[in-house]
Amino acid sequence: MSRIAWDSPGDLGRHVPAQSSTLRPRPHDELREWGGSALVSGKRVLDLGCGDGRLALGVAALATKVDGIDPDPEAIAAARRNARKAGVRNVRFAAGAAQRLPYPDAAFDLVILSWTL
Amino acid sequence: MVDALAEIHRVLAPGGTLVDARPDSRVPAYAERRKPRGFQRFGVVKTSRLELANDRASDRAITRVVRDGLFKRRRAGRFWHRVPFSDLAELRKYLSEHLRFVHRAEWVVDGATRRRHSKDQFVLRRAVRYELLEALRSPRNSSPARRD
Repeated sequence: MSRIAWDSPGDLGRHVPAQSSTLRPRPHDELREWGGSALVSGKRVLDLGCGDGRLALGVAALATKVDGIDPDPEAIAAARRNARKAGVRNVRFAAGAAQRLPYPDAAFDLVILSWTL
Repeated sequence: MVDALAEIHRVLAPGGTLVDARPDSRVPAYAERRKPRGFQRFGVVKTSRLELANDRASDRAITRVVRDGLFKRRRAGRFWHRVPFSDLAELRKYLSEHLRFVHRAEWVVDGATRRRHSKDQFVLRRAVRYELLEALRSPRNSSPARRD
């Protein structure tokens, strides 16, 4: 597969901010490449290494619920701000490490490691 | 990494899916000038040695948990993503600061061409790889996953 995941043409030439999530493909572009919305629809999703919530918030409209976890508390604070700003209500963010996840067994249908491993 | 993947297996329902997506360091990235129609390749940008080593460690961790019977490989692929920059200087600044890449592109156009187009819009075209893995009900191997 060798299609280009394009941001809108208007994105070309804009200044690239330091925040890493702006350098990544858009959530719906990634999701399309992985197999489309069926991968997420009606699922309980964990975005591991969620950063500022780029992907978690991007797939929230399709999922039953989304949890985002990241070791960086500042990133989690930014993710929560972004969720409030976007009015997304089925997403929760928590600071934590992948080696000890604060969730019960079999809590998710889909775990996403996007630029994390 | 293996212990994190074992923890992911724990929180995934049997039959659930793990998506592992990351930049594909097996192929170089490309510095390209935007033209009215299409793009012109200006340079090749390789991945830093440290990141190549990290990516190989990630690959080994995935292989390990598949071998241990925690996951089954379902599907893998690659797509290309373009990161836009206002001009060549901004692209160069990004390369000099970004840890994933070597800090200088290997230019495939001469210096005069680079100077002539230095104020044009540029992109960094990079490959992203992904793999979908299915969580299996119980590991074939009952011994705990070794830490890598």
